[in-house]
Amino acid sequence: MRVGVFICHCGNNIAGTVDVAKVAEETRKIPGVAYATTYMYTCSEPGQEEIKEAIKREKLDRIVVAACSPRMHELTFRRTIEKAGLNRYFFEMANIREHVSWIGENRELNTKKAIEAVRMAVAKVMQNKPLYSSSFKINKRVLVIGGGVAGMQAALDCADGGLEVVLVEKSPSVGGMMARLDKTFPTVDCSICILGPKMVDVAQHEKIKLYAFSEIEDIKGYVGNYQIKIKKKATYVDWSKCTGCGACMEKCPSKNAYDAFNFGVAPTRAINIPFPQAIPKKAKIDPKYCRQFTKGKCGVCAKICPTKAINYEMVDEIVTEEVGAIIVATGYSLIDMEKLPEYGGGKYPDVISGIQYERLLNASGPTAGHIVRPSDHEEPKTIVFVSCAGSRDKSIGIPYCSNFCCMYIAKQAILTKDHIPDSQSYVFYMDIRSPGKGYDEFTRRAQEEYGVHYIRGRVSRIYPKGKKMVVRGADTLLGTQVEIEADLVVLGTAVVANSDAAHMAEKLHISYDTSGFYVESHPKLRPVETNTSGVFLAGACQGPKDIPASVGQGSAAASKVQALFSKDMLESDPAIARVNINTCVGCLKCVSTCPFQAIKDKELKDGRVVADVIETVCAGCGVCTSTCPCGAIQLQHFTDNQLLAEVNALCQM
Amino acid sequence: MSIEALKETIGKVLKDVDVVIAYKEGFDALHSTPHFITSPEQIDKMIWNPLCVHNLTTYLPSMKNKKVGVVVKGCDSRTIIQFIQEGLIERGKVVVIGIPCKGVISVAKVLKAIDHKPIENISFSDNGDITITSEGEKKVLSLNDVSPDKCTTCQYPTPLIYDHLIGEEIKTEKPAESVYGDIREFEKLSLEERLKYWQGEFDRCIRCYACRNACPMCVCQDSCIAETRDPHWISQRLNLTEKFMFHMIHALHLAGRCVECGECERVCPMGIPVNKLKRKINLDMKELFDYEPGVKLDEKPPMFVFNVEEAKIKEHKI
Repeated sequence: MRVGVFICHCGNNIAGTVDVAKVAEETRKIPGVAYATTYMYTCSEPGQEEIKEAIKREKLDRIVVAACSPRMHELTFRRTIEKAGLNRYFFEMANIREHVSWIGENRELNTKKAIEAVRMAVAKVMQNKPLYSSSFKINKRVLVIGGGVAGMQAALDCADGGLEVVLVEKSPSVGGMMARLDKTFPTVDCSICILGPKMVDVAQHEKIKLYAFSEIEDIKGYVGNYQIKIKKKATYVDWSKCTGCGACMEKCPSKNAYDAFNFGVAPTRAINIPFPQAIPKKAKIDPKYCRQFTKGKCGVCAKICPTKAINYEMVDEIVTEEVGAIIVATGYSLIDMEKLPEYGGGKYPDVISGIQYERLLNASGPTAGHIVRPSDHEEPKTIVFVSCAGSRDKSIGIPYCSNFCCMYIAKQAILTKDHIPDSQSYVFYMDIRSPGKGYDEFTRRAQEEYGVHYIRGRVSRIYPKGKKMVVRGADTLLGTQVEIEADLVVLGTAVVANSDAAHMAEKLHISYDTSGFYVESHPKLRPVETNTSGVFLAGACQGPKDIPASVGQGSAAASKVQALFSKDMLESDPAIARVNINTCVGCLKCVSTCPFQAIKDKELKDGRVVADVIETVCAGCGVCTSTCPCGAIQLQHFTDNQLLAEVNALCQM
Repeated sequence: MSIEALKETIGKVLKDVDVVIAYKEGFDALHSTPHFITSPEQIDKMIWNPLCVHNLTTYLPSMKNKKVGVVVKGCDSRTIIQFIQEGLIERGKVVVIGIPCKGVISVAKVLKAIDHKPIENISFSDNGDITITSEGEKKVLSLNDVSPDKCTTCQYPTPLIYDHLIGEEIKTEKPAESVYGDIREFEKLSLEERLKYWQGEFDRCIRCYACRNACPMCVCQDSCIAETRDPHWISQRLNLTEKFMFHMIHALHLAGRCVECGECERVCPMGIPVNKLKRKINLDMKELFDYEPGVKLDEKPPMFVFNVEEAKIKEHKI
């Protein structure tokens, strides 16, 4: 065996705190190492050429590159050595950048640690076996989870490119948060007027199969071949018959149902169509409020329905769809105002959230676009907006900026003046964040043309005084306390991840951060990919994002899927579990622990029962290998012996 | 219970099984040995007394193709439940003849009590006295003084699973807290003290693998990771680290599986308290997963399931 080791300077990234020449010198002493050298940028084209030439010149058969994280360049170098005629798995990377040079300042210790890392990689590479991938057919259908603007854009772009799309939306209509907005900043376009045509396109596109009021029950499989179980939640209305005429809603006697679409600004009926432009425009019954369910009798809607679509006996239905890629566009939620007790939201009716105010402004909202106080339905004259209600507050676990509140507060303040010309708006802000195109001009217009009074400081308390709400806060520019007696207070509540975001991430096998937002593959260079191949992100599920950014990501995710599907076959990763049937004792512990159901039992000719890995389902997670008591099941490329060789190399120094 | 009732039951059971596993006299008066009964005339040779120390269920997984009757004490019965939970045996292929047990002897403790002299005769009375004749002299010992540690905290004197119960059910009088009393006491020692203790114990290990071979839950047998080269976890070098490694692997492979029958410790020729390590892990498993091996037939051992979230492990919560 002739191992070649290439130690990268990475400019000064590594060479700055690691004596790379010394690492090379020590490496040459390791038994099995035939060649070791250093290079300024090993990943560069001449760097890769150097590897290829050395393989031929020195007759090398195993290669170690000591450089950055394998997540960065493992694939690059695997391709390099493959071009030089070696099996791509005869390669190891020693991470002496992220694991060594970037985290330690002591040159001597760093150099020692780098040598240890190289020794481990050499020990591993000498144990490596050649592995070969097999190829399999891609199912060129795509699943989009979430029918907000990002999900719809992704679905439409995929469908326009000729792909079949399965779009799953958990609420009764597509549209998401954008469908609830009155106007959009900075152009003050009517939100539903620009979104509506997209919603109609989604409904009418022959390539898009829409499952509204449905949820993802289970995801099995891998890139190219996923099996998705979708739960179609019971609507108690047969949507194939419902024409969306709304007669049921008009006659429904249960008038106090919670209106999720309007964020509880006003009640709705137990049977309802969420909003006039809903897609699909179909009614559904909320059994929590429907008298047929709560009292056992009513049946008014069933009597009134001209198409006899009502079915109180309906149950949830599970359907299975097969796809080859998944775009996650599950969006965001807003912090519960009751988690901010100092502001009194949820306790005082005249303290409302920004999205609730949006519904009050909206012509198709519960007040038909008239701004009124929820408590007495009078028109407010003094309105206070509080930005960063929860955002940028480490004490409640939200250290981040919610991205678009500054902008929508400016928009709402402008619209308020348009609706009620004799009103005065105040905005408490920490910083005004308006970096988008035309955004800063917009916030300036609110201040300069619409006379909105901006106060830099935080609000400490909001409490009622007669019919008014007293907003007490600091004006940090004047260095004084301010108190404003407001008719209505609007909180720019923090954007948070959906409550089931973590659960969904586990189903998808993608990572999420401490706030519950999904983690992209690279924050700069792979913003819509995840580390699970075949799963892509779009919109605010990845972090707070405004409409143009969400739409951009929707299109980006769609283009990634198109690129993936441009091939007919995909290569499988051979680094999966394999069973040694000679040593397997058939305890089948692996079968019950496999998170992917990728192992089944198999009877051999002699009647012995052993475990058997289904190659195409195995994700190479390694749970089975740590479960197997006798080491009969081994993860290829990460076998016990390969890892033990690394441990021994480290411990026997 | 009477030995006659036991023999009569075995006689009946033998008609529908291939073999009944019971006990018979061993190579001397102090030892019994497993007795494989395949025909009625062998029944008479069987015995039942506190010398019947073995956990006979150990044989069951290797006799999967046969229908087997087996005589079990309370402690042994947990093994059968664990086997069924893990799918290692089929319930329908085993006929369990349960005997409520008042305790067995520890051969090591008896030998110590009589200074390792050869034994001519041993007899047991109902009040727990053991009369031993050795070199012409008679000596009376109390069973409680020479029973193994597992008997002193026994929670399940009556088998938890059986098809035939011979004799009256016995309820334990021993407090449940006592079971892991010694472990909790041991945990009060510092990490260094405990490491020193185990280094001292395992240094005596001769790697005869008797503990592993006697363990009913060690399913790997000839594929044991202690002896394979692929994967090569342990070398044959006879030093403390390799011995330590073997015992750690053995203990971890029994996490949430060890039924605490004590066979490992009973058979250890070097007197190493090997069950203690397994019981410590069992205590952790109990606290973490509310699971006790071999007690309830419908439970699933925690290490046999993959859960994204565990009630008492918080790593995935946000």
